[in-house]
Amino acid sequence: MSMFRAKKLDLGCFTNIKIIRDHSKRKAYEAAEAERQALRYIVRNTTLPPRTRAIAQLQLTQMHCYTRPTQIRNRCILGGKGRGILGDFKMSRFNFRMQALAGNIPGVKKASW
Amino acid sequence: MAVPRARLLDLMRAQCELFATTFNPEGVRTGNKILRQRLRGPALASYYPRKVMTFRDFQDEFKPLELEIEEEGEVDRLEHIAALKARGKSAPKKKREANTSKKK
Repeated sequence: MSMFRAKKLDLGCFTNIKIIRDHSKRKAYEAAEAERQALRYIVRNTTLPPRTRAIAQLQLTQMHCYTRPTQIRNRCILGGKGRGILGDFKMSRFNFRMQALAGNIPGVKKASW
Repeated sequence: MAVPRARLLDLMRAQCELFATTFNPEGVRTGNKILRQRLRGPALASYYPRKVMTFRDFQDEFKPLELEIEEEGEVDRLEHIAALKARGKSAPKKKREANTSKKK
C-alpha cells in the first residue's frame, strides 16, 4: 500500500518492490505497535465487561493488514529472496555461502575436521 | 503439618507487596502478560540497512572546500542522452500541465 511507503527511498541495501513493501510493513507495525498491544490487553483481560472486549477485538481486526506483525517476513538484503534466510546474517543461504567463502563475514569459516 | 490456605494467601500477599507484583490468587486472566511484553517494533524496523549518504550529499560536503567530484555513471548517462538528442532520437518533451489537467 503506497500510503505506508516512504516518499523517498530510504533503503541502503538491494531494493526491489518486495523489499520496499516489507520495509513499509515493518515501519507501519512499529508505528501501530502500542495501539495493537493496548487492544490486545483489553481483549485478553477477562475482568473487563464482555462488550468492551468484543469492541476491542473488532477494532484489532479492522486495523490495516500492514500493521500486523505476521505480515513481516525476513528477506535477503543482498538479493531480496524470501526463502532460506539465515536470520543472524539477514542473507539467503547462497548469498551467505558466497560472502562467507569470500571472507566478508567476520568470525565465519568453513568447517573441516 | 498442613499449612492453612489463609496463611499461605497472607504470605502470597506479602510477597506481592514486596516485589510489586499483582496479587491474583485465583489466577484470573488479566492480560498482564501482554503488558509485560517488550516492544519489538524498533528491532523489526531496523532490519534493512538505511540509506546513509547519497552521492549528492557527498558532493555538497566538499563544496565549501571548492573541490568538485564527478559521478561517472551520471556523466555517462548525460553523454548518452546528448548523443541521442543530436541524432533526434531522444525522449519527447513532457506535455504541459494545462493539457493534462483537462482529462479526468
